[in-house]
Amino acid sequence: MEQYTNRAPEAGEDQLLRRSWFYYATIAASVILTVFLVLVLSLIILRPSSDALLASLTNSEMQFAVLLSLATASVSTLLCILIGIPASYALARYSFPGNKIINAGLDLPLALPPLVAGLGLLLLFGTTSLGNWLADVGLVFVFTPLGIIIAQFFVNFPYMIRIMRSTFSMINPRYEYVAKTLGCSDAQAVWRVTLPMSRTGILSASTITWAKGIGEFGAVLLLAGAIKWKTETLPIALFLNMSTGRLDMAVSAALLLILISVCALYVFERYGGSARF
Amino acid sequence: MLHIDNISIDLGEFRLDEASLDAQPGEYLVILGPTGAGKTILLETIGGLYTPHSGSISIDGRQITHLPPKERNICMVYQDFMLFPHLTVEENIIFGLRSRKILADDAKKKALEMARLLAIDHLLHRYPDTLSGGEQQRTAIARALVMEPSLLLLDEPLSALDAQTREGLVKELKRVQKITKVTVLHVTHNFEEVFALADRVAVMNKGSIIQVGPPDEVFRKPNSEFIANFTGTENIFRGICSIESGMSTIRIGTIAIASRTCMEGGEVYATIRPEDILISRTPVTSSARNSLAGTITRITNSGMFVKLTVDAGMPIVSVLTRQGFEEMDLAVGDNVYLTFKAAAVHVF
Repeated sequence: MEQYTNRAPEAGEDQLLRRSWFYYATIAASVILTVFLVLVLSLIILRPSSDALLASLTNSEMQFAVLLSLATASVSTLLCILIGIPASYALARYSFPGNKIINAGLDLPLALPPLVAGLGLLLLFGTTSLGNWLADVGLVFVFTPLGIIIAQFFVNFPYMIRIMRSTFSMINPRYEYVAKTLGCSDAQAVWRVTLPMSRTGILSASTITWAKGIGEFGAVLLLAGAIKWKTETLPIALFLNMSTGRLDMAVSAALLLILISVCALYVFERYGGSARF
Repeated sequence: MLHIDNISIDLGEFRLDEASLDAQPGEYLVILGPTGAGKTILLETIGGLYTPHSGSISIDGRQITHLPPKERNICMVYQDFMLFPHLTVEENIIFGLRSRKILADDAKKKALEMARLLAIDHLLHRYPDTLSGGEQQRTAIARALVMEPSLLLLDEPLSALDAQTREGLVKELKRVQKITKVTVLHVTHNFEEVFALADRVAVMNKGSIIQVGPPDEVFRKPNSEFIANFTGTENIFRGICSIESGMSTIRIGTIAIASRTCMEGGEVYATIRPEDILISRTPVTSSARNSLAGTITRITNSGMFVKLTVDAGMPIVSVLTRQGFEEMDLAVGDNVYLTFKAAAVHVF
């Protein structure tokens, strides 16, 4: 039987391929994309002088934005872990009525414009009795840092779900069954066997969710607003400073976001194992 | 000890259909059957992964049909080992002992004893992915046996191993089972494992257990056409049984063969194992009641043995050792005689 693989050619192996115009055209496309990317990023990276950059980074407003971004992204990632991992496990392991619909539905925020997500959240927490009740018990999400967390959570949990769902699907359920015959309950089998075996997936999913959380703008803008010293995350700081013509501050915020993205990508590729989304 | 009474379960592709089975304490029971017969589901249902729609399972008189796996004290070893990759060999072996809250030192001591029994005590600090297939399977068996289970379920435990490792592990399994006296249910496709390990063998097909008995009995006296075919009985005939001159006789077309048992007037199946048929160039004078003349129509080389198909009014297969075949210098078209005892004819 013919074997199909997605193996990339070994170094030098493709030297034997016959080269047509198609070969050069496809490589040219990848080079053009890389040049485009490098050009865009280098304009940001090379823009500020070292003095201006240092001044911006030591500016207290920028430090507030950094800390707020780190804190809100960390909390929203934690929420994604606590809720997304059990949900992904159920979707990967169990066959139940509505499984396919829920599977597809939970991916929807990936395709949804963040502004639409933000509008929905604003309507939920700002105009419904649920929102009013939550506000009465002290959970105010509209125009507060709590709103940033919920907006980041809503927009980014599909990344957690997708990566963890594929991670759990790749682990043979018989590992858990063996653990159960060795004295574990269902939950203990998952805790002692499946989760440790999923650690690269959990790391990747958390990294991507966290990085996406830090960069989230549209949904945060709609629900939490763009309020200086209150809901000013890095993307909001970039937006506010651009709006007021403080280009060095805006570029500094952009540089920090680029740095976080590069680090997240490195962690994902380096430690992510076979995790994919 | 183990009593399975008419359990049924339907998982779509696989099912159990009123399967019943008993195992005695310390018995090594091998379950044999074709792919899709329901062997693994049977083990997993006994182990508690699935709850049967009907029927019951008990061990030593205790109903376990609806108990979760952790309360059954039944351990399972799979073909592909299922060792926990994030744990060392030692941690794998003491995994279950930790669930039982056994003190760490005692657990380590037990793990070492079991590792010694299975000759893997030098591997305790290694991770599964650094072990050979045989070492991994020994570890999986140690992890199960250290729990002192009332029943050990082995799902094709030797299928993923090379022939040499498999042979070694067969001996090891028998030795360890004799020492631990654990009751074993072992699923396999491999006839060699049946004869090397089984006290009894149960043959499964389409979710049911259709014959249980000592291996020799099941292979020599199959109770159905399916088992006769599955166990490699080449000569399966359909005929009419009658008593002629005080002898049990089966008429198969124009041929009549003598048998020991008979169901008079009824249509029966008769099987004769190829190795029970003596082949010769001249008629043989012996106590054997059946002697048929025929012509060799086909010679098949099967390594150590040569299989000959002889047209004696019906095609009959016989086997010879390679040496015997060369000494007789047989060829297709040669006329030969087939001699076999009435006792070699199994009727059902």
